[in-house]
Amino acid sequence: MSHEPAEAELKDLITIEELCFFFGDNQVLKNINMPIRDKSITSLIGPSGCGKTTLLRCFNRMHDLYPNNHYEGRIRMENRNILDKGQDLIWLRSRLGMVFQKPTPFPMSIYDNIAYGLKLKKITNRSIVRDLVEKALRQANLWTEVKDRLKESALGLSGGQQQRLSIARSLAVNPLVLLFDEATSALDPISSAKIEEMMVELKKDVTMVVVTHNMQQAARISDYTALMYLGSLVEYGETNDIFTRPKMKMTEQYVAGHFG
Amino acid sequence: MKPHSGRLWVNYLALGLATACALFGLGLLFLILYDIVSHGLTSLSISLLTQDPAGPLGRGGLKGAFLGQGLLTLMAALVGVPLGVLGGTYLAEYGRDKKFSKVIISLCDLAMSLPSIVIGIFVYSILVKPLGGFNGWAGSAALAVIMVPLVMRTTESMLSMVPWTLREAALALGSPYYQVIIKIVYRQAASGILTGILLAIARVAGETAPLMFTSFNNNYFELNLNRPMPSVTVSIYQYAGSPFDAWIGQAWAAALMVTVVVLFLNILGRLLVKVKKA
Ligand SMILES: Nc1ncnc2c1ncn2[C@@H]1O[C@H](COP(=O)(O)OP(=O)(O)OP(=O)(O)O)[C@@H](O)[C@H]1O
Ligand SMILES: [Mg+2]
Repeated sequence: MSHEPAEAELKDLITIEELCFFFGDNQVLKNINMPIRDKSITSLIGPSGCGKTTLLRCFNRMHDLYPNNHYEGRIRMENRNILDKGQDLIWLRSRLGMVFQKPTPFPMSIYDNIAYGLKLKKITNRSIVRDLVEKALRQANLWTEVKDRLKESALGLSGGQQQRLSIARSLAVNPLVLLFDEATSALDPISSAKIEEMMVELKKDVTMVVVTHNMQQAARISDYTALMYLGSLVEYGETNDIFTRPKMKMTEQYVAGHFG
Repeated sequence: MKPHSGRLWVNYLALGLATACALFGLGLLFLILYDIVSHGLTSLSISLLTQDPAGPLGRGGLKGAFLGQGLLTLMAALVGVPLGVLGGTYLAEYGRDKKFSKVIISLCDLAMSLPSIVIGIFVYSILVKPLGGFNGWAGSAALAVIMVPLVMRTTESMLSMVPWTLREAALALGSPYYQVIIKIVYRQAASGILTGILLAIARVAGETAPLMFTSFNNNYFELNLNRPMPSVTVSIYQYAGSPFDAWIGQAWAAALMVTVVVLFLNILGRLLVKVKKA
């Protein structure tokens, strides 16, 4: 039995340095500095509109889809700056998967949903694809529910199953990081618990950043927690410290549910 | 309860008026259909489709005209559908936030409400006069010009209805944008786009005015697009205006055929949307 790595052993996979982000003239992120530790779960919490989604979408440069946005500062990963103008976005996005609040099944079979990303990586050998599809579905705790209906349309799955399918689809391309934006907020408690269980299981392979409004969830699953307010980082630390002995008064009030 | 009953009356009045108008419109439509069906059926025979035109007393048919119309429509679709779909894709995807696209969309809407005879005259001036005579290419071109804005607009609106999160999800997997469009967005919007294409084909399949100025007509079987092309709609126009009972009968029968084909395409288009929703 291996032990959970002690804090000192977790290296920084990503470092956010002096990050600012603007929608047009509207500055939404203000000088954010924090690490994302390797093989861990980091929660982003904070009141609605504080910039959690905006920060999450900086990691995979989703903002580039829309005009008039710009980034300042750096997000370092593997000796590169994610925010570099010349950054290969295809490569970047295959390294950082994203799961959205609403499930996003593609209009095709369950199997093809998962195989989609593999085709992008030019993995076409049928038996390898089949194995990888099964592996991804197992990782997302979905395999036993769908193994007899892989050829059926993904649109026929329940909301919770669709969400796990979206996760499996991201996992299939073997990402370094998975970004979750309130991925369980639209689900019933059982589906949501299944996904939490899966996330904890996944920690040995993948680093996760999780935006959530659910304080219990943040406390249960994450190793590190960051509280944001009005575009700034209020406090970052080990989840245990944030919830039991925060440094800032605001953090104490927020996790206790006294404002927001 | 008093103020309520007043509003109730206004409601009944509006409902009654609206229903009456709808019934009036429907009634007219059925009257036209009844006329076409009753006149058309009496003259309908297989020789309409299998024989070449004969003199006013013989038992001829409009074989050439049906083939010609089919060919003209097919050629128009071969050009109009890809242009329309690709143009609509540009508007909804690559150019979605650009001023240029908004201008194009407004122009499309304008082109759709343009009387088709205007398009006929336009094509006449660029493809008939300079080339020295009526020809099938000009006819196809006129129909294609009518189709493009229709297909473009439906494609654009069908693609715009596909939620952005779906594109984002595919892009977030590391998919290039063109693949997201081809493999996911098109698939999601497929039935809507197909319906638009069918409706556009149905629309041009019944056009007469643009063909009179372009492919004109021809009494013979003709598959050479360099020459004037026979078409059903122009034949109907000419036969119906003739003094001969046999030709007038054939015009009715041909009108029935055109109506049935157009109706069929329309119903097929609607069914596709239904299947998708189910
Ligand atoms: N596309 C956009 N254009 C302009 N401003 C935006 C855009 N998206 C978000 N914002 C603004 O940026 C700020 C941060 O929004 P963001 O979605 O990151 O908040 P959030 O913390 O994720 O909130 P929630 O918990 O409600 O999801 C808000 O003030 C919002 O109004
Ligand atoms: Mg958000």
